[in-house]
Amino acid sequence: MNTKGNWMLILALSLISAPLVIMYGFQLIDSVSRPAPGGIIPQEWELTNWRFLWTSIDSARPSIWRVTFNTFVFASATALLVCAFSITAAYALSRLNFPARRFFLAGLIMLHAFPTITLIIAIFIVLQFLGLYDSLMGVILVKAALELPFGIWIMKGFYDSVPWEIEMAGVQDGASRFRVWRELILPQVKPGLSALLIFSFLAGWSEFILPLVLAPGADAQVLATYMNAVIADDTRPDYGLFKAIGMFYALPVIAVYLLFQKRLMNIYGGGTKG
Amino acid sequence: MTRQTLLGLGFLSPALLAVMMFFLLPVVLTVVFAFTNMSTSTGILGGEYQISESDLRRLPAVGVGEDAVALLAGAGYAVQPETLALFAAEFGEDRAAELDKLHGGAKFDDQRAMERALKELRRNPLRKVRDRKTAADLFRVSILGQRFATRDDFALAITDLGVPERDRLALTEAAYTGWTFTTQNFELLWELPATWRYALNSVIYVVLTLGFNVGFGLFLALSTFYLPSRTAQTFRAIWFLPRILPPVLYVLMWQWLTWDQGFISAMLRPFGIEPINWMRHTATHAWTFIVLINGCVGASLGMILFSSSLRAIPETQLFAAQVDGANRWQQVRHVLLPQMRWPILFITSYQTLSLLTSFEYILLATDGGPGRQTEVWALAAYHTALSNYGGNLEYGLGAAYALALVIIGILLSALYLRFFKFSELVAKPRIEQ
Amino acid sequence: MKKMTSALALIAATAAAPVLAEDITITVWAGGSNDSDHYRIDNIRIAADMLSREAAIRGEELNITVEGKRDFDGWDGFKQAVTLGAEAGNAPNIVVTSHLDIAPWASAGYIVPVEDYVDLDAWPLNNIYGNLMEIATFDGMQWGVPQDAESRPFFYWKETFAALGYSEADMDAMSARVEAGEYTLRDMLADAKKAVDMGLVEKGYGFYPRVSNGPDYAQFYQSFGGELTDTETGKLLFDRTAMTEMYQFFVDAVDAGVTRRNHIGTEWDQWYSEVANGKAAFWHGGTWHYGRYTGKEGNEDFFGTVGFTLIPAGNDAGRANTVTHPLVYLLTDQKDDRVEEIAAQLVAIASEPRLNALHAIKSSHLAIGKAEAGLDLYSGDRWAAEATEVLLPHANAQPNHPSYGAFSEAMFKGLEAAWTGVQTPEEAVAEVEAQLTATLGDELIVR
Repeated sequence: MNTKGNWMLILALSLISAPLVIMYGFQLIDSVSRPAPGGIIPQEWELTNWRFLWTSIDSARPSIWRVTFNTFVFASATALLVCAFSITAAYALSRLNFPARRFFLAGLIMLHAFPTITLIIAIFIVLQFLGLYDSLMGVILVKAALELPFGIWIMKGFYDSVPWEIEMAGVQDGASRFRVWRELILPQVKPGLSALLIFSFLAGWSEFILPLVLAPGADAQVLATYMNAVIADDTRPDYGLFKAIGMFYALPVIAVYLLFQKRLMNIYGGGTKG
Repeated sequence: MTRQTLLGLGFLSPALLAVMMFFLLPVVLTVVFAFTNMSTSTGILGGEYQISESDLRRLPAVGVGEDAVALLAGAGYAVQPETLALFAAEFGEDRAAELDKLHGGAKFDDQRAMERALKELRRNPLRKVRDRKTAADLFRVSILGQRFATRDDFALAITDLGVPERDRLALTEAAYTGWTFTTQNFELLWELPATWRYALNSVIYVVLTLGFNVGFGLFLALSTFYLPSRTAQTFRAIWFLPRILPPVLYVLMWQWLTWDQGFISAMLRPFGIEPINWMRHTATHAWTFIVLINGCVGASLGMILFSSSLRAIPETQLFAAQVDGANRWQQVRHVLLPQMRWPILFITSYQTLSLLTSFEYILLATDGGPGRQTEVWALAAYHTALSNYGGNLEYGLGAAYALALVIIGILLSALYLRFFKFSELVAKPRIEQ
Repeated sequence: MKKMTSALALIAATAAAPVLAEDITITVWAGGSNDSDHYRIDNIRIAADMLSREAAIRGEELNITVEGKRDFDGWDGFKQAVTLGAEAGNAPNIVVTSHLDIAPWASAGYIVPVEDYVDLDAWPLNNIYGNLMEIATFDGMQWGVPQDAESRPFFYWKETFAALGYSEADMDAMSARVEAGEYTLRDMLADAKKAVDMGLVEKGYGFYPRVSNGPDYAQFYQSFGGELTDTETGKLLFDRTAMTEMYQFFVDAVDAGVTRRNHIGTEWDQWYSEVANGKAAFWHGGTWHYGRYTGKEGNEDFFGTVGFTLIPAGNDAGRANTVTHPLVYLLTDQKDDRVEEIAAQLVAIASEPRLNALHAIKSSHLAIGKAEAGLDLYSGDRWAAEATEVLLPHANAQPNHPSYGAFSEAMFKGLEAAWTGVQTPEEAVAEVEAQLTATLGDELIVR
């Protein structure tokens, strides 16, 4: 009965997942083939859709490699900042006793509810004031700040699950809280930290609206804005090309997923104790 | 101050600084902007003082006297003794005398006409464009169209022009090109029929997507729970990808699936169904796909969360149920679901807020169409503040939209804090030293 | 003599600069531009070369570097970038944009009038068509220089038209009949219905309009007697009757099965390929579509297959018309006046007929001046020549009013609501009217 039930379940799941699977499948197929005009079935295999890698597809666009480099810098810098700020702040909120701690915690939860993107004009003014408008640096700072409430929340969850006994033992041995944190607690939350690192990297890699509005110049183009500009340019409508660029754009994401699947799935494990 | 306090605040400060700069400060600014008429025309960072031709006709309405308006409206350039003297000082008596002979006492409407007059100088022509521009400027007697950087400059100019004292204040205020404080954004929101439609759209969007997310997340979590781990992993991977794929690419895949020559149309053609754009055909089509697009992203969050809470349920309970002869459905209903109450509530409240403020996928998929049928509140805020075919972006009104979301966000999260037993969350750390 | 002085003056304009070598970087941002529009930027480069040579003859060293950018995320992305850049003080020196941006950008102080730097009475600016120059003015000042001209014709597929019983001679007379108001949008609708009923085109392909908002829809408002501004006060004008009739027209088209209810939002590429290959009986577009139809879409016999006219009148109150929506070169406000001056001179030189003709023919746009229309490159191009003759004399532009954007947006959203059947035309008009009166207040006259 159980195996029969399983087959039914698998069938149902497969049916439901079919649209997604079809989209993934054709995403791959269309990037390396040409369908018949007006049809879906690929006619010929070809790599011309990937021409954007070695030639410029439009004289006005920056080179894809430059854009990829920008995206990489953007995503990794964001991830590093989020992690660096979260590990300390979350520890403070989770384990340290200091005035107004309650207030900060409540504030953290409220922040999550704020419409980040709709604040964009005000964010522009702040960036402008700092002289960081239209620079990669500016978008990195903003993205990192907007990801912080989530990052701190997740890290706090991981800290919360570290047994108090470890800390107690360290303190009783005469170590300072700082040393206890660095030498005893940090190793305990490493899985959480690496998950957050991966997660923030992916969030930065995918970000679209922030670079679009806050860094429109050629020097700070990222893959999301690049790809969207290619799609928006209505005289070059070419799903094959779009999909090839999309494939190129998604490769690191898929690679990261395959490598760190478990950790990514686990990231919410720490944050659910609510 | 104890060392722990110091350490705590020290540990918190980098994050605090970042959040204050790019999160709290913008929130405060948004509140301020919501009470201004800020737009492209007014600029963001302050304005200048200028009376332009089109301003003239609205001056009487703001309390500037007729005679002052007449003064301002007078011809822009005049060849008169005062201006000629200026001209002579800069370009020589000879030229001034010649110009006086040619056009003494003449008035010209605009700079172009004045320059033409200057071109007529024969004995000592002004050969360079730049010189003629400089010279023409000396004959300008009207301040129409001229920009003054500060209030004082403008006050001086209108005093020189002879605007009566009683009109000066109203005139100066009317001349300011920057933004001013006002409550009209909220009056406008209240009056516009569209406002209610956007609010309603947001409700539809949140309720439907949330329903899909929770229902589907639960279904995925429960069904993969019973499957062998390899199979389960495959399905989880399929459903997890939408969450991490870049939105631009993810929505492109849906576009390809649904457009007139896309997959669905191609599949249905043999059955005699006309190809249509399945995503934009009608409002219902659009909503279906908006919910699917967002739902497939959101369902994965539910799936992961629910899966991990399912794993936390002791297997003995399930065995016990099995021994009692309960089938799967009964197991789910009586053993699993009751224990999922908190995760479900958490996801519901967490995603209500996320969905209320999110619009990225809608922007990329339908951009609010057809006919603004899928324009949700957050997207309306974005469109108002940052997208307008005629180039006049209404930041103030956009901020008013955003402010409404901020307020709802604060209220809801305060509610959740009570609900989810905030006090447990903030239980005092056990080490006191 | 006069001409010579001014020409000399233009050349000598930079003489006041120091004799030292001068290095200036000029950035040019062009909105809504794709590959075939590259002369919008390249002409500035050529102009920079000219200006440097002129300086060299005077014994000065002037090195101008031109940096161009046109890969924006559509018009929205471009306008965001320019306005926020201007606020941040790093706006590009020259922008190529819609003339509709002049009003808000001038009010905000982002741009400076071009008339402050160049002689409008001198070559080549004095050769630009007066009505085009007028389009780049606002509040009595010349803010920009037209960069190109276009117009938005009505198209019909000749084969379908012939099958409806029109002879070759009828087609030759079409432009004149439309112009005279003898062939109206209602006649077109009847013909389109016939074409659908006879199976000449598929259902929904009788009349195949533009798929997104654009100046095109202002044309239909004008076809039904609407005017965009009140000539006396310069305020925007909302003509209730014309608006209702216009909405009704599109609703009728949908009801007759001539136009698809879900037409708005159709993919542009699909639209292009369909109209260029005769899938639609009637449609409307822009003069630059010629390049697309004959190029990418592979229509090799444009003149044999496609006929074009003005947008027909809708009723007796309206007139046959076409809107021209020229892009303009604008100068942004910079700290250094010298940079503005150089930028202005580059714009003037780039408006030379020969340079502008490169852009016009390459991108299927129309000439901006008399001399340009006479150049061999231009007059030798059948499309440019015919379109100039049939369309340009009747072209009017949308008003440079700070709130026109809001007006146009609201008008289209109302149309979309009626078109898709969400509201009746009357309801849609009432809602648009309510919204516009609330947002524009005194700047709107409702008639």
